[in-house]
Amino acid sequence: MKRTGFLLGALSGLSVVANTDTIFSRALAQTALPGLPGGSDRILVVINFQGGNDGLNTVVPFGMPDYYRYRPSLGVAPNDVLRIDNTFGLNPVLAPFKKMYDGGNVAIVHGVGYPDPDHSHFRSTEIWQTAQPKGYESTGWVGRYLDDAGLPKANLFNAVAISNVLPEMLISKTTDVPVIDAVASYGLRSDKTKGNSEAFHEFVRDTTVPFRSPFLAQVAEIEDHAQRGAQELPKLIAGYQSQATYPTTPLGRSLALAAQIVGSKLGTRVLYIQHGSFDTHVTQKATQNRLLGDFANSIAAFYQDLAAHGNDKRVLTMTFSEFGRRVAENASRGTDHGEAAPVFMIGGGVKGGLYGRHPDLGQLNAGNLAFSTDFRNVYATVLERWLGRPSASIVGAGYTPLPSLLA
Amino acid sequence: MLDASSALAPYAGPWNRRMAAHLLRRAGFGGAPADVDRLAAMSSRDAVDSMMRFDPGPLPARPALEDPPVPPRGLYRGFAQAAVGGAVPMAADDATAEARKAFQMQRNRNRRQNLISMQTWWLQRMIASQAPLQEKMTLFWHGHFTSSPEKGTFAQELLMQNLLFREYALGNVRDLTLHVSQDPAMLRYLDNNVNAKAHPNENYARELMELFTLGIGNYTEQDIRESARAFTGWTFRRNPDGTGSFLDNHNQHDDGSKTFLGQTGNFSGTDIVNIIFKQPAAPRWFAKKLLAFFVYMDPEPQLIDAVAGLIRQHDFEMKPVMATLLHSNVFFSERAYRALVKSPVEFVVGTHQLFGINEIGRLELPVLRQMGQVLFYPPNVKGWDGGSAWINSQSILTRENFANGVAKSPQMMQAASWMVPAMRSMDPRGVAHTLTDAMLQGDVSPASVAQLVTYLGGSGQTELAQLSPENVDERVRNAAYLTMAMPAYQLA
Repeated sequence: MKRTGFLLGALSGLSVVANTDTIFSRALAQTALPGLPGGSDRILVVINFQGGNDGLNTVVPFGMPDYYRYRPSLGVAPNDVLRIDNTFGLNPVLAPFKKMYDGGNVAIVHGVGYPDPDHSHFRSTEIWQTAQPKGYESTGWVGRYLDDAGLPKANLFNAVAISNVLPEMLISKTTDVPVIDAVASYGLRSDKTKGNSEAFHEFVRDTTVPFRSPFLAQVAEIEDHAQRGAQELPKLIAGYQSQATYPTTPLGRSLALAAQIVGSKLGTRVLYIQHGSFDTHVTQKATQNRLLGDFANSIAAFYQDLAAHGNDKRVLTMTFSEFGRRVAENASRGTDHGEAAPVFMIGGGVKGGLYGRHPDLGQLNAGNLAFSTDFRNVYATVLERWLGRPSASIVGAGYTPLPSLLA
Repeated sequence: MLDASSALAPYAGPWNRRMAAHLLRRAGFGGAPADVDRLAAMSSRDAVDSMMRFDPGPLPARPALEDPPVPPRGLYRGFAQAAVGGAVPMAADDATAEARKAFQMQRNRNRRQNLISMQTWWLQRMIASQAPLQEKMTLFWHGHFTSSPEKGTFAQELLMQNLLFREYALGNVRDLTLHVSQDPAMLRYLDNNVNAKAHPNENYARELMELFTLGIGNYTEQDIRESARAFTGWTFRRNPDGTGSFLDNHNQHDDGSKTFLGQTGNFSGTDIVNIIFKQPAAPRWFAKKLLAFFVYMDPEPQLIDAVAGLIRQHDFEMKPVMATLLHSNVFFSERAYRALVKSPVEFVVGTHQLFGINEIGRLELPVLRQMGQVLFYPPNVKGWDGGSAWINSQSILTRENFANGVAKSPQMMQAASWMVPAMRSMDPRGVAHTLTDAMLQGDVSPASVAQLVTYLGGSGQTELAQLSPENVDERVRNAAYLTMAMPAYQLA
């Protein structure tokens, strides 16, 4: 996270805040943001299908004969596909997800990508996360949203990464985003020892040291916030009762925690979760089927849990992957790095259905699917139609939201 | 206000443990209290000179890496033909596909294990080398001339690059740049291995100027195109042990005339490097990087000019340049003191050195990843931004938890002999001063010291028991952790 300016006054010589609950009382209140339709309690969950998910075997174009020509062993049989219409259907392992689609809660955007695609995991992920295909941008697109949205500075949970490393997407100039793998392990281990927590609290807030440093106050502030946030979090979410059975997988656990955070009304606007690895160069079927099946079960449980608490319409989930995969299967019953792939938008105000134009299997881009929707249009849709912020300063000018996808 | 005329003149101010520790943190990784004492006992001049001598001591010159696995006969039958235009043969049956998957997993395991071996070896060198500046410069070059394993690079290729950086730690930067341009890991990372006359690839030419030598604004897109042509044919041959050897493939080289930065000729990559280093922007670029890494971020333009002049004067020889810089007023100035954030590697290595723990266990590598720095794996070609980028709630919690783990470890008390007398004394005041002097050179407020004394003694405020032989070990370990929790400990 880059900091270009922040309040030194908060730490120099002020009295200790006696009641730590007041720090979070603002978090508990729902403050309305200007210009946001329908109020401030809209939440975005981003799920990163890490590794490059094969879109063609996810949203199967069983009605296109070329698909089977390119995929003699990997092609999903027409009778197995969960049909959406005469051309497209879902991989059968996605049955619980198909149910959600049939309920009108899933929008599928075909052919999402960007010009001059990069086939490196690192660079293409960076491009999707920073929304900057040219040059290197240090902040993430969601990070820039957090900077722009005027969220309460005192809320330590404006965004949460349920992961073990902070993703580039959430790097921002002014907002520190906690990375929480599991609540039980989040925080200072030393706090479990008597006396340490109070002592840490005092040391960290004392910045009257015999030297000056441009980074001193920032370090002290982050240390202080991180400790207090970690101490408060379990108490804040303790009252939540899950109303669904999640798969006992990392994704299942992550979405269960996400539902808990949403249901505890911490004021969190964005949650990030990672799923994978989808990098199926060899014997794709087993791995991809397992991961997609896990996703279907976990997302169904997530929305069941949210609905039981009246939160399903508040939460929009978006999936993405750094690229799709090559159209032709390779020599090892797998696929290599590709380009365009579908994006799912789930829940929230989504008007279910198929959006965009599926790439033409007869007009490939050197063996890869040519993109028809720039991912920045998808981000603009989320920013403007869901989060209520103008997208130009975040993803660049000229990326119009997809019409009618979000009510 | 910076006085540019005296900034680089030799420092003649106060010399004490604080200044010695500053030198050790910047020209190394922090060192042990005994190292600080040793340097503090010399003159400032002798202390800096001692950092410039490179005798690392008895350390393994390279890690033992496993050769890349060779696929079983027939597993990729026909692939060689496919490479020259034949059809790629599909897996004949599930058994073949499964066998290829198993081989792929074996290859991934080999790669992963080798990477761990390299990271462990390098971290141990950083901890134990008697020439810490050599390792610090290697780290500097590693973050400057970036490459990573993401393009299928073998660990052995990255190791050769690391050895190159170490050999040229304080060598000539122009020569180093030429060698980097012919380095297999770099050729692969920035695609120059596929830069050929028929289909030029500009990736290396661009990053060479944009990030490695000149900076944006000092060349044009045309210069990139022309220099890419000059670099065509520079590729490498892979050896069975996983290393690569530079290959100048004349068949793929564009030997036409090129116009580059105002000069015209039938240039090769070597000529491009030489022309780049004649530009005024080149010494300025390196000056800015060196100052931000060793002195303070956002250096003043006059300071950059002064160091650029120094670099030009010494024709890019790093030894005299770094000697001047490390001896200088600006290096030991108040503005430079604790002005940098310790990178994750400096934090982990420095903490090891503080407590005399030489071995790298199983925690350090995952912890470095969570702090945002994986050796041999910079996030992108820009390397690591440093400064504020190191500080967020996750990285801070990781640093604190790591420090806590070290403070609770068996090795810590065994190795940190400087802690033993204080512990035996059972005197809270004595222990507090020992800890804050050794770990922070007294860069703490009287209030914090008083807090630490109270904590150590046990008192009604914390509801801790009085300090006693039964609890002194645990109490002192916690106090050591709390000292590392002070914000100053994050600052270099």
